[in-house]
Amino acid sequence: MSEDIQLLIDDVVAKALAGDMDPINNIEDRVTRSKAKAALVKAKRSQPKTEIKSNASENSDVKAKDTIEQVVIASLSKNFSNFLDGEQNGEWIQIKAENWFEIAKHLKENENLYFDSLQCNTGFDLEGGMLESRYNLHSMKHLHAIEIRIKVSIENPDIPSVESLWRVADWFERETYDMFGINFTGHRDLRRILLPEDWEGWPLRKNYEEQETYHGIVVPKVKEGWE
Amino acid sequence: MGVVHGQEMVLNIGPQHPATHGVLRLQVKTDGEVISEITPYLGYLHRCFEKHCENVTYEQVIPFTDRCDYLASMTMNFGYVVAVEKLMDIKVNDRVQHIRVIMAELQRIASHLLATGVFGLDLGAFTPFLHMLRDRERIIDLFEMTCGARLLYNYMWVGGLSHDLPKGFVEATLNFLDYFEPKIDEFENLLGHNKIFVERTADIGIMPAEVAINFGVTGPNLRASGVNWDLRKDDPYSIYDKFDFNVPVGQGIKGTVGDSWDRFYVRLQEIRESVKIVRQALDQLPKDGDVHQSMPKKIRPPKGSIYSRTESPRGDLGYYIESDGSDTPSRLKMRSPAFTALGVLDEIAGGWLMSDVLAILGSLDIVLGEIDR
Amino acid sequence: MTVDYIFDFLTGLLGGFLGSDYLLLVSMLIPCLAIFGFITVYALIVIYAELKVSSFIQDKVGPMGQGVGLHAGKWGLLQPVADALKLLLKEDIIPSSADRPLFILAPFMIFIGAFISFVAIPFGESIIVADLNIGLFYILGVGSIAVLSLILAGWASNNKWSLYGGMRSAAQIVSYEIPAGLSLIVVIMLAGTLNLQDIIKYQEGGIFNWIIFDNPFVPIAFVVYFISALAEVNRTPFDLPESESELVAGFATEYSGMRYAFFFLSEYANMFVVSAVAAAGFLGGWQSPFAGFMSTPAWGVFWMISKTGFLIFVMIWLRWTLPRLRVDQLMNVCWKVFLPLALINIFGVAIWTVVFNS
Repeated sequence: MSEDIQLLIDDVVAKALAGDMDPINNIEDRVTRSKAKAALVKAKRSQPKTEIKSNASENSDVKAKDTIEQVVIASLSKNFSNFLDGEQNGEWIQIKAENWFEIAKHLKENENLYFDSLQCNTGFDLEGGMLESRYNLHSMKHLHAIEIRIKVSIENPDIPSVESLWRVADWFERETYDMFGINFTGHRDLRRILLPEDWEGWPLRKNYEEQETYHGIVVPKVKEGWE
Repeated sequence: MGVVHGQEMVLNIGPQHPATHGVLRLQVKTDGEVISEITPYLGYLHRCFEKHCENVTYEQVIPFTDRCDYLASMTMNFGYVVAVEKLMDIKVNDRVQHIRVIMAELQRIASHLLATGVFGLDLGAFTPFLHMLRDRERIIDLFEMTCGARLLYNYMWVGGLSHDLPKGFVEATLNFLDYFEPKIDEFENLLGHNKIFVERTADIGIMPAEVAINFGVTGPNLRASGVNWDLRKDDPYSIYDKFDFNVPVGQGIKGTVGDSWDRFYVRLQEIRESVKIVRQALDQLPKDGDVHQSMPKKIRPPKGSIYSRTESPRGDLGYYIESDGSDTPSRLKMRSPAFTALGVLDEIAGGWLMSDVLAILGSLDIVLGEIDR
Repeated sequence: MTVDYIFDFLTGLLGGFLGSDYLLLVSMLIPCLAIFGFITVYALIVIYAELKVSSFIQDKVGPMGQGVGLHAGKWGLLQPVADALKLLLKEDIIPSSADRPLFILAPFMIFIGAFISFVAIPFGESIIVADLNIGLFYILGVGSIAVLSLILAGWASNNKWSLYGGMRSAAQIVSYEIPAGLSLIVVIMLAGTLNLQDIIKYQEGGIFNWIIFDNPFVPIAFVVYFISALAEVNRTPFDLPESESELVAGFATEYSGMRYAFFFLSEYANMFVVSAVAAAGFLGGWQSPFAGFMSTPAWGVFWMISKTGFLIFVMIWLRWTLPRLRVDQLMNVCWKVFLPLALINIFGVAIWTVVFNS
């Protein structure tokens, strides 16, 4: 009896690994089903992790073979030199801060790239004294998207502002400045946006400490965690 | 016509003001009734959503997303779970997908009803607002029937749902849709073709397509400007590619493309399309399938990042999630559609009269909870 | 008129005890108290009507009682009483930076404006406080006191929203008085008198003798007058001075409690006045629509009140149906539509009278 069950479990796990979850869910007996699920988890763990696919590359229709990242880098290489920052991978483009405004202009105005909408701008604290600003660009004409990352040091967090290219960046950059203290040079109106003007510190940095008092109100320090 | 210039006066609209849809402060420069410059001040409703998310597990983020856009909590949940599922590469079964679409579209109807109703309220029409709230109430009853909550649902979970549909839900929803469909025409006639309403909205606050795209305006506001862009069609997530529906686009029936009236009308048309989708989804709803089937025991996405967008009633709702392999997100950013919609206010509303500015603000359909997060 | 009656009556009764000066004073006070009582009772009724009519328009039930001694009485009848009590008991707040004397004066002034208009309103053939030979003119004149007090309220509150409300109301009421007055000229032309009683008597003999059916121009004049009157009493779609979604509460932003209640009381009182003028001028006042039938003095009061009441109902109905106009559209409608229309009406009526009625 137990051998039969073992065979059944092996069978459904194999099927599940191939992507078909139905046989597992169709098992009537609850105990067997949970055993099968446990076996599946074990089997999955032993498998090599699958790479996360870049959702951007799927939409690319500029060139069928190259991913959009490669196309963008190729296009940029014609006009700029030495703009990449370190090793690249298929998911994003890591560039240096210096020429960012010109690169952004190229990305926006080049006919083949035409990234006319800035979807999102995110700050990120890489820890170890580095901050990062990430831009998700999208073209409504060609329906492709890329992510651009710019790394800056925490002592000198200057990134050229692209607010005059994509006006949506106005508030995005203000928010990133508000939360991370990344200084967007050339921004017309770089003020805090969500926090009060006189707030101290950059809350989304990993080493952020709340201020002791705010306008005479003692800020309560909750030490115990959330979990 | 000559323009008389008087002394400019700085006026604060809000934070406590009936027309700001929450706590928003607009500092405006006025010259008599004409408003020359608008500076929005945000943050009165800032609840540190992103900071909280770095301290809670992935499951615990879902209730926080509810509270961001409290008028469309289902779609906020939806966007988040779609993002995490993409990050973890989870496939959920068809029944879950269908239920999610039904809920999201019902929520879209509810949200648009409130948006158009409040827009009418901003223009002084009280009655359409209450008629729309009456019907929104019935949708909320359906949600209550499903998950017990009426405003903040916490219904969609990563890999599944909190509850399966209750008994009789399909019938109740079909009943509601049968009742509701003729009401849409009623709303259209009551408000949309009212002479005063048309006078107040047509040709007011025109947002050209380029401006809308440049300012990152999305959703119904963008479509009203004549851009056919709907993530449900153009970048289908979940199972939206299975349904047959149109994307209503502003045509400038009463005035220019992209005016306040178009923004109102696109929302009303979207309600019709959502009704269509709900009907199809109810029709195709698979009988079996466990809603907890693909739920992981512990949500621990692999190292990596993802930017995933979904179509909330207010536009492109993006979640940027950076995972460091632990069970709490290392960074979670919500790209809120109302945030960008408010950003365009100065551009399209500067130079109009005070009444128009508040009408344009109403037509943009902002929710402060989502802007401030 | 009425004062004379009362004076004669009192002299006959108490002539031996008091001097005629005292009696005159007393006989003036009695009608004043009567008007005040009438306004109060009428306000309670019309507030209830507004609550209920708006509720039915909005597909809800409005104030309802759930049983004996619960909530707002049977069908919510006690709701306006509760509202009035609440306003009476509320704290009276005067902002520290407000112009105190003017701030206090404004609500009383607007109420006086509404109050003294009632003096010339004919409720019946002999039920009128003062049968002035310029009754219509008098009502139009004292009605303008409202503008003054709204500006006063807006200015004295020292609040930008209030100021906006005050300025809007000044522009609006002053503008709309012109088409309203010009429309009433049609009535004066036809009746040949400014005395409201004589105007009503001119319309004797059933519904077809009413001025509104006199010739094809008069209905237009009536509509112009009614819409202008709506604007004069700041009702939606012309409630710009207090538009709650734009100006918070306009001129009344800083007012609370009883002072606020006075603004509302006078708004409702003004509604009655303009409706009564429309009823007297166009709809035959206290005349019965059926010539000699149902035309005793008591029926006269009934007809007057019900005609006025109907017009007030139309005002409520419009309020809960229409959105609000914008300030420049409001002025456009007044100066570019109503004013020419009213002028054309005057010519039209004049020509008609000469050609057909002479």
